[in-house]
Amino acid sequence: MENMTEMAAERPLPGQFDVVVIDDEETFTEGIRQTLEMGGYRAAVAKNGEQGLNLVRSANPGVVLVDLKMPGMNGIEVLGHLSASAPCTVPIMVTGHGTMDSAVESMKVGAFDFLTKPFDPERLLESVRRGMRLNVLRKERESVPEPVAAPALDKNDMLLRGLEVLGEAYSLGLDNRELFDELAYLESEAKYHAESLGQIKKKERAILDIRDDLREVDSILEKYDFEKGALIQVLLDTQEKFNWLPRHVLHWISARLNVTVKEIYTIAGFYEAFSLKPRGRHCVQVCTGTACHVRGASEMLSRVSATLGLEPGQTDEDQQFSLSTVHCLGCCALAPVVQVDKQYYHNPSRNKIEKIIKSLDKEVPENV
Amino acid sequence: MSKLKIAADLEALRKSVISQRETKSKWVTICTGTGCCAYGAEALADGFEEEVKKLGLSETVGIRRTGCHGFCERGPLVVVESKGHTCYVGAQLKDVPLIVEKTVVGDEAVERLLYLEGETGKRAGTVEDIPFYKHQTRILLKNNALIDASNILDYIAVGGYSALAKALTDMSPVNVLNEVKEANLRGRGGAGFPAGVKWESARKAVDSTKYVIVNADEGDPGAYMDRSLLEGNPHSVLEGLILGAYAIGATQGFIYVRQEYPMAHKHAQKAIDQAREYGLLGKHIFGSSFSFDVKIHRGAGAFVSGESTALINAIEGHVGEPRPKYIHTTEKGLWGKPTCLNNVETWANVPFIINQGAEWFRTMGTESSKGTKIFSLVGKVINTGLVEVPMGMSLRDIIFKIGGGLPKGKSFKAVQTGGPSGGVLPASMLETPVGFDELTKVGSMMGSGGMIVMDQDTCMVDTARYYINFLAHESCGKCIPCREGLRQMLNILNRITAGAGEESDLDLLEELSEFMEMASLCALGQTASNPVRSTIRYFRDEFEAHIRDKRCPAGVCTALIAYEIDPVKCTACGACAKSCAVGAIEKVDAKTYTVDQEKCIKCGSCYSTCPDKWGALVKVPAVPATQSPVVPGAVCEVRSQCKN
Repeated sequence: MENMTEMAAERPLPGQFDVVVIDDEETFTEGIRQTLEMGGYRAAVAKNGEQGLNLVRSANPGVVLVDLKMPGMNGIEVLGHLSASAPCTVPIMVTGHGTMDSAVESMKVGAFDFLTKPFDPERLLESVRRGMRLNVLRKERESVPEPVAAPALDKNDMLLRGLEVLGEAYSLGLDNRELFDELAYLESEAKYHAESLGQIKKKERAILDIRDDLREVDSILEKYDFEKGALIQVLLDTQEKFNWLPRHVLHWISARLNVTVKEIYTIAGFYEAFSLKPRGRHCVQVCTGTACHVRGASEMLSRVSATLGLEPGQTDEDQQFSLSTVHCLGCCALAPVVQVDKQYYHNPSRNKIEKIIKSLDKEVPENV
Repeated sequence: MSKLKIAADLEALRKSVISQRETKSKWVTICTGTGCCAYGAEALADGFEEEVKKLGLSETVGIRRTGCHGFCERGPLVVVESKGHTCYVGAQLKDVPLIVEKTVVGDEAVERLLYLEGETGKRAGTVEDIPFYKHQTRILLKNNALIDASNILDYIAVGGYSALAKALTDMSPVNVLNEVKEANLRGRGGAGFPAGVKWESARKAVDSTKYVIVNADEGDPGAYMDRSLLEGNPHSVLEGLILGAYAIGATQGFIYVRQEYPMAHKHAQKAIDQAREYGLLGKHIFGSSFSFDVKIHRGAGAFVSGESTALINAIEGHVGEPRPKYIHTTEKGLWGKPTCLNNVETWANVPFIINQGAEWFRTMGTESSKGTKIFSLVGKVINTGLVEVPMGMSLRDIIFKIGGGLPKGKSFKAVQTGGPSGGVLPASMLETPVGFDELTKVGSMMGSGGMIVMDQDTCMVDTARYYINFLAHESCGKCIPCREGLRQMLNILNRITAGAGEESDLDLLEELSEFMEMASLCALGQTASNPVRSTIRYFRDEFEAHIRDKRCPAGVCTALIAYEIDPVKCTACGACAKSCAVGAIEKVDAKTYTVDQEKCIKCGSCYSTCPDKWGALVKVPAVPATQSPVVPGAVCEVRSQCKN
């Protein structure tokens, strides 16, 4: 509490009211008003969007707290009008139904912060205090006219832009110790948000990828009429499609075919054709059939292995090449033979192997 | 295309196809089997098509891409059919205009592309003149060189599906069965069980649903006969399968193809689609009451899945492990229904038997093995490829007359037949006639037809180790004698090849062999010791050299050899150093190079690079490391544990 009075003493006095609260829930607005008063802010309450906008126009507050869901004009619409009529006023969105989408949506229309009910009074005051500061900064800069209207920004641009503004503000506040700390805090917060947004984006992409994978698997399963007995055929097609058998795909197949995951893993482990680890984009297969063996396949294998720097069964770090041995490629007349992707080579020398690898290395893989 | 409703429709179609094709005066046939494709046969075929088009000969000259002709060693193979069959070996894209000009437009041969006989120095003008083909009896493989596998009309033109027409119009299922039984057709997959007996047992089983299966899971390393048939002439296998289904009373068939053979899968699928289109599969074939259809199931790479019960498990979607056979699969097989499973080559024989009769079939072969057999003649032999000979031909004739002997004047040491379940036979056994019982008697096996020739540079201990390593990896691990027996055998053989063998090892190997044969569940385990037993039987001295003298007489076992450069012979050309993948060869002075034994991985790159005229790189006996011998490729894990 002591803290709060301290903060209130510092506050600037921009007009009749410091904060306008726009919300249709009276019990709630009353609570907020009291909290704000205790924090030393003069607060006014409006029951709906129109009333609120009028109030803002007359009172010119530093911060507006807007409820997202209201009868009539909703929070997003209010913010839309607000940015035109009171550009310096800092809007904070308040809602009982906080979702990622609504938060992003609010930020897009210019909300400075996004509070989910019920919230801690401290959190509210903290947010308002920062909003008031921004309001001061905005007013200071108001005299400088904007050269062009800012174009509609997407999430990333917004964040970048925010960081940029912060950077500018830094230079303004460098000699003001307090402002400097505040800006540093804001910056770290902005970075944190940027990062979580990045992570969310990444996760979103991963989820979309998985969804696409599963759709592919479904089309394979459909080909075999979702028949249990076709499990091996399904896995073969899946292996061909993905070049390995990812975990989520196997679990999906298990659910779709009503086969236990254990059984699927037993089969995937038993048969040579399946790989539970990602394989390289290019497969180098050294034939170790008898005809190749008597014509020096093991010598060829050590040569290929040394040139690639891979042991049989390994894949390089870039997932470019996988080296494996096969029992018989059925081209015994060419023995000893090595198959690189779909091409067969008869007993290649070290130079030849290097050449083959180089020619493939340059290729841009199709599926990336 | 309308469906063929009665047998006469087929004959009419055949005649119309032939008359349509008579407009072409010449055919250029390019082998596009897997072997020739590796030599660039597809590009060659494109080249011919372009050249013929360019010269405006498309009307009169036909280009045909066929399956494997068998003479893979000399690919790509091109045959120009006019009056004779001019056969070109190793033709390249740049030779296309010349071949078209001389042989297609004119009637001359391009001498330098004809097969050169090593001994006589004569060029062989036609296919029939080439010794590789001359001594063969090509029945199953004959059509491979004549038809485009992706075109059913090609197969019909050479008389395809006439056996089916004959059977469905003139023969009862029992007649078909009896014909096959009388022919004494024995299973070509390895065991040689009479197909007729198997069919009869499946026919007698009481059930309304029965299945027939083509086993095209050709797992034996060093064998590719089934691949070649299924890629080059899938309809012949399909026709045999339909005939079998008719005889047995099956309504659904499966072709189990290994996933490593994508072209075989593609061609078989195409054959099925086309057969369906022509009404040769589906309901009421040739207007009879017989209905039948076929599905393809791809194997996912497991040797043991070629075993009949394991294969059935795989089709059902389970792990391909063998089942106990208290009840035959002909009574309770796929999904508990009577199932008849035969190898690709066995099925491919059936149309010939129906068309030409059991009598004709029995004229070929030995007392107990009738007909012909395709062998994959590979390894250290001059003419590598697929050969089809009547049963009873001696190993010597196959290897020396057809195969042309061993390259580089090396001496013959052994021939391995029967794949991992078979054995190794020495020079003294070369007169043995090929036949199921004949080969078993001398300690080997017919198997599916792999025939790997080995010369003086092949180490027999290493060969035994190779097979046991293969089998140890491929054992499904279900029964202990096979799983643990192979593991122990491999440990012992690894030890011996690494120079750490003991006197008692040979007895121990014999003992293990006996036990595994007695106690294993399926044929994989029961026969797994054959490679070891036969090598010990015929090449005991090599085992003893490894064990007692720590020496590999053939210079193969890497732990027992080292590569060195003879400073006297070395001309410091530097070729070896360039070829070394690990930088183990260093220049000592202007005149010599030397091998750093610490770095050397013994890949033999330098040894094969050093020009023969210098011969400066030599293999010398090395003292084996005393501790923990490391043998390349020594994987000692059963498949259930080894992956991922």
